Amino acid sequence: MSILPLDDNMTQEPTRRARLVVGPADAASITETVCAITERPRPPAAWYAAFAMSAAATGMLFAAIGYLIATGVGVLGNNSPVFWAWPIVNFVFWIGIGHAGTLISAILFLFRQRWRTGINRFAEAMTVFAVACAGIFPAVHVGRVWVVYWLAPYPNQMGVWPNFRSPLLWDVVAISTYGTVSVLFWYLGMIPDLATLRDRAISWWRRIVYGLFALGWRGSAAQWHRFEWAYLLLAALATPLVLSVHSVVSFDFAVSQLPGWHSTIFPPYFVAGAIFSGCAMVVTLAVPARSLFGLKSLITMRHLDNMNRLILGTSLLVAYAYLIELFMAWYGGNQYEAFAQLNRALGPYAWAYWLMVACNVLAPQLFWFPKCRTTPWLMWVIAVLVNVGMWLERFVIIVASLGRDFLPSSWGMFRPTAVDVMMLAGSFGLFCTLFLLFCRYLPMVAMAEVKGVVPPHLGSNGVQ
Amino acid sequence: MSSLGGQYDTWWRSLNELADAPGFRTFLKAEFPAEAEASGMSRRRMLQLMGASLTLAAAGGCRWKKQEILPFAERPEGRMPGKFEKFATAIPLGNVVHGLEVTCVDGRPIKIDGNPQHPESRGASTVFAQAALLELYDPDRSQCVVRRDGDKFEEQTWEKFEAECDKLFRRLHESGGKDFCALAEADSSPTLDALRSKLLKVFRKASGDWYVFEPLSDDNEETISTSAKYQWLRTHWRLDRANVIVCLDADPLGSHPAAVRYARDFTAGRDPESGRMNRLYVVESGVSLTGASADHRLPLRASKIPDFTVSLEQSLKSPGKIDHPFLRAMVADLLKPENHGRSIVCAGPAQPPDVHGAVQRINALLGNVGEEKTVTYTSCPHWNSHIGNLRFLTELMKAGKVGCLLILGGNPVYNAPADLMFGKALEQVETSIHLSLYRNETSRCCTWHLPRAHFLESWGDGRAYDGTYSVIQPMIAPLRNGRSAIEVLSRILESADKSGGEIPKPEGLVQQTFHELFGRDSQAAWQCTIRDGLLAGSHWPIQTLQSLAEVPHPKPLSKGERTLEVIFRGSRTIDDGRFANNGWLQELPDPVTKLTWGNAALIGPSTAKKLKLENGDLAILKLDGRELQTPVYIQPGLAEETIELTLGYGRRAAGNVGGEIPEVEPVGVDVYPLRTTKSMYLAAGATLVPTGKKAQLAGTQDHYAIDVLGQKTVAHRAGELIRQATLEHYQKEPQFAQDEEHPPLKSLWNALKYDGHRWGMAIDLSKCIGCEACVTACQAENNIPLVGKEQVIRGREMHWLRVDRYFQGDPENPRLAFQPLPCQQCELAPCEQVCPVAATTHSHEGLNDMVYNRCVGTRYCANNCPYKVRRFNFFNYHKEFENPADEIGKMKYNPQVTVRSRGVMEKCTYCVQRIQEAKITAKSVGKPIRDGQIKTACQQVCPTGAITFGDLADPQSAVIRLHHSARAYAILAELNTQPRTVYLARIRNPNPELESTDRKHEHPSA
Repeated sequence: MSILPLDDNMTQEPTRRARLVVGPADAASITETVCAITERPRPPAAWYAAFAMSAAATGMLFAAIGYLIATGVGVLGNNSPVFWAWPIVNFVFWIGIGHAGTLISAILFLFRQRWRTGINRFAEAMTVFAVACAGIFPAVHVGRVWVVYWLAPYPNQMGVWPNFRSPLLWDVVAISTYGTVSVLFWYLGMIPDLATLRDRAISWWRRIVYGLFALGWRGSAAQWHRFEWAYLLLAALATPLVLSVHSVVSFDFAVSQLPGWHSTIFPPYFVAGAIFSGCAMVVTLAVPARSLFGLKSLITMRHLDNMNRLILGTSLLVAYAYLIELFMAWYGGNQYEAFAQLNRALGPYAWAYWLMVACNVLAPQLFWFPKCRTTPWLMWVIAVLVNVGMWLERFVIIVASLGRDFLPSSWGMFRPTAVDVMMLAGSFGLFCTLFLLFCRYLPMVAMAEVKGVVPPHLGSNGVQ
Repeated sequence: MSSLGGQYDTWWRSLNELADAPGFRTFLKAEFPAEAEASGMSRRRMLQLMGASLTLAAAGGCRWKKQEILPFAERPEGRMPGKFEKFATAIPLGNVVHGLEVTCVDGRPIKIDGNPQHPESRGASTVFAQAALLELYDPDRSQCVVRRDGDKFEEQTWEKFEAECDKLFRRLHESGGKDFCALAEADSSPTLDALRSKLLKVFRKASGDWYVFEPLSDDNEETISTSAKYQWLRTHWRLDRANVIVCLDADPLGSHPAAVRYARDFTAGRDPESGRMNRLYVVESGVSLTGASADHRLPLRASKIPDFTVSLEQSLKSPGKIDHPFLRAMVADLLKPENHGRSIVCAGPAQPPDVHGAVQRINALLGNVGEEKTVTYTSCPHWNSHIGNLRFLTELMKAGKVGCLLILGGNPVYNAPADLMFGKALEQVETSIHLSLYRNETSRCCTWHLPRAHFLESWGDGRAYDGTYSVIQPMIAPLRNGRSAIEVLSRILESADKSGGEIPKPEGLVQQTFHELFGRDSQAAWQCTIRDGLLAGSHWPIQTLQSLAEVPHPKPLSKGERTLEVIFRGSRTIDDGRFANNGWLQELPDPVTKLTWGNAALIGPSTAKKLKLENGDLAILKLDGRELQTPVYIQPGLAEETIELTLGYGRRAAGNVGGEIPEVEPVGVDVYPLRTTKSMYLAAGATLVPTGKKAQLAGTQDHYAIDVLGQKTVAHRAGELIRQATLEHYQKEPQFAQDEEHPPLKSLWNALKYDGHRWGMAIDLSKCIGCEACVTACQAENNIPLVGKEQVIRGREMHWLRVDRYFQGDPENPRLAFQPLPCQQCELAPCEQVCPVAATTHSHEGLNDMVYNRCVGTRYCANNCPYKVRRFNFFNYHKEFENPADEIGKMKYNPQVTVRSRGVMEKCTYCVQRIQEAKITAKSVGKPIRDGQIKTACQQVCPTGAITFGDLADPQSAVIRLHHSARAYAILAELNTQPRTVYLARIRNPNPELESTDRKHEHPSA
């Protein structure tokens, strides 16, 4: 048996575990690699370019929102019967993106998948930012934004509770819980690393800011003990959320009686789709980030390979859901349901449906080939396609179903407006802005955790 | 608190408090803890209050602008502020008036309805009457006298005009009225008639005469030209008595002046329960509302209808072998002995007088003519309204023989036949005076424009189609400084005939005419007529028809060549263009095409295929060397090789709604330029060439060209939504509408219990003729905003009640069916369950209430509504009325209905304000609400009584009877929404001889 080379963790050898960190790495070098990104005086030029662009897009998002609130929901393309359109598509899309983070950090943690350590930090960051992007849309697309707090169950002078029968209310609760837990989980895991940054700080403001957020972390055994318990508990708390949040989001549709929405398959189908799109987004971000910030030894090809396998697996789940929807529409014998499905595939939005199938079902099949799973540019292209496909999936579900429901007299088509486009593009801008800031100022890789998976027998020079 | 006041002047709230009983102390503590603890005012508290008061005083500057509210110094007798009052009046439309009952609050009209006592309407009304309210408050109405000097327009006052008038008419009078002509729109006012005669007497030497012009008139029908003389007669049909009705391009249910009465009579003759059903045959080129209600409809090119009439007459005389199956069946039906004297054959105003003559012969032949029969003739006011007269006038004008032309109303520059070049001719007239509600195209060409008072602002009179005399009384003082035609004419008379006497008041003139006409001198009779709005029994006397043998047989209009034919029709929503600036009417979908805000050249599917045209294509229409660009819309059921053009659009000086060059683009395409004196209704030899460009049409149904999959589904679903059967089938199987299979329906929730009223509605599809008066009535009653063309294209129209239109069968000759769709007020309402803030909830009387103030605008309710009857305020559609300059526009609002702002959902609530008012009244007088006492706005306006509203908890109510009818069914009942609105299945009465041939053609389509 030959010794595996240091920089390879791709060789499949059943008797030996693959390395989780490649190349010569020890605790010090990991700290150096990760901290250097935030400590170097200037980020790479590409960061500036990307930041300028995404900040501009963010500005556009908030300008569009300002215009929307000042003028009315009519500036969007929504109409009757398509009362919900792009904002809700975007909302479900972003919430879906958020799922990979918690999946990787919580579920894989409970299943002791230690390879998660390389990517969990930024997958969690991605979750938090995606939830932030998602949360904006339902809030600003309501008719009267200024009273949107009425959705919260709080004692008030009107003596009115919200309507607990409404899935929209469940949604508010689910999303806010998820957002809170995701932020807590992300932040809690980051405390030791923030302390590292604080300890290495040379400027006073870094000392103060990181010090503040490190919450006085000293790395004592007692602190580690409590930290790990807390982390485990939060992971246990977050795990059901991964499944529940998107289930509840799907209730918005499944509990209503619109043909094409009213379907019991929606909760598992939505969760699978969410993980699918989330993993694709992880790949979309990880591929450029690891090369831009020199993290290839920590976010290894094996990580990407694993993510790609997840994408392939969830893609099959999603494909199965598509098929079952068609089958049930035929087998169920409900004329409205049957028409809703036929209309997706053959109606005026057929282009979106078939593009969705191509992106979500066909494109990921390339991941059956190891070559495709390990070629960064190719997997990046596929991941982007999956993201497009998943956005289209929500578009097909929401807009195509609403466009043609029960009474043919009310059928209508949806045409987006410039504000719709600006808000969608702007939400990507906001997401990228937050992500770029994260890359620059926070530890992108969970140093403390990665150190735990570096084989102890590796010498400081990395030679066994 | 005792320490606050002195010992003796303490204020107290109850005897207990005064007694300071221990029980009161505990109660007070529970209710007002702070007060209970108060033991007097401390210095600290005093300073706090002083500080707060000072701050509040400073904040006084932020108060809303002060408005003075002036109370009546002396309240008019019987007037209660805020209380609704109803007054009778009438709306003049062409040569008839329609009796109205106007609801006023605090001196402003807010709703118009039909006069329940009027024999023509019986409380129903038309879309025009409903929308007249908006016209009254239209800010675009002319506000002042305008004098044109070359290209300059200067605003003038009435006094200036009067001075000018004195000079002008004095001079004219001296010259005996030389050069003076008058051109008026048609009217039925006896007072105007009297003034007219007086004026013509004063201007004895007037080279011209009094001319009348209406672009759409009954002239063809009312003139029966014998070889020797004209006889002016008006035909009246008793549709309720008829067993068989044959319409030859006639539209008694739609565009006819007496349509309201005819619609009621028509449906009265169709009662599936009793089995007495008339049978309606329609032969027509376009698709009219009558055609939509027909049992058998034959699309036939307009030019073939005279031939068809000839064949009909011949076949009736010698019913031998008839080749045409439709004609054969129809003739057999007409000749059945039981139908003798119980049938009607009628022809439309677009058909030449010969056809009307033939139709009268046919009716005589069938024994229909007579007082107890189905057809009667009466006299009618006859004007020289023939197009020949207008040509004569125009020639006089062109020859410079008209020095002074008085134009009362109308808009001949816009709508006179194009070959007359009326606008050019008008330039030759030295002084032209135009009295008009708007500064329209004609006003701008005249030297003087006078603002006209709206009929709701002025005194007048008129006669309904049957001749019933009505007084028009003002509801409000003129808002825009206008004067009525009566006022202007009497002022001119005064100028001409300077007697120095006092100018008679219009009210006096009308009263005087009344007394002269009916010989009733008593003030009481006059007061009664004003109160009732009509003089009972004043209808025209029945006339006998002269011999018709001399009337020539109709001549064929075409020589059989297969060229494209153009037919002209008035708009069903804005008439001949006079209502072009009325937003309610512009946004009211055409009942058949469902187009709003514009017109299109309508062609049949086969013609479209031949010409390679699709919906919305822009095409160039050429006719006799004139051409225009128009969008094309495919109308199933239109006769082949026919283009139907709708008049009234493309106004260039209508106002901010209907188009005002250069600020506001015209709405739709003006097709008057193609209409000449020779082709008033029909022209042959047109070409229609696609340009390759597309136009955006604002339809409210079929918003886009529908695909094959969609079409198939529509065809399938329409049959479930609108259940219909033949009379024969219904008699065999009365429950046919209810046999629908679905799994057992279970609710997740406990059933609601009601111990009071349970409101419900029933809509009889056998009675609905699709006129859409209910849509406008709902809009007027419920302060429903306008959204405009772009928003309609986006699919954001706001009508709470819509009328769905479906086609069935062969696209070349489909059956049409209408379904009014208000909120169904579901018992298990899907909207209520999904609203996160409980803004839409179930009332204790079973209504789906909508709490606007609570609505956040998630729109989830609308997504979950299977009937899509919820409407969302995407913008603040009432914003324009926030402008202080538009205060008057606000006056149209019904004060009992909230005006919704942007971001909230709204919907039909069965006119809950009317329910509440009835309940309050019932409570105060201590009597229960009678069945039928509460009428929803849509029910009240419906000419056929298709809509019934009432209490489902009352076992005697009409609505519960209908709910239990064998024909009753709920739409989408399988969703277990349990609607409170049920539909009664549509029963048709086809001729068994034709139904089988119909079946062969039947294949589903959209």
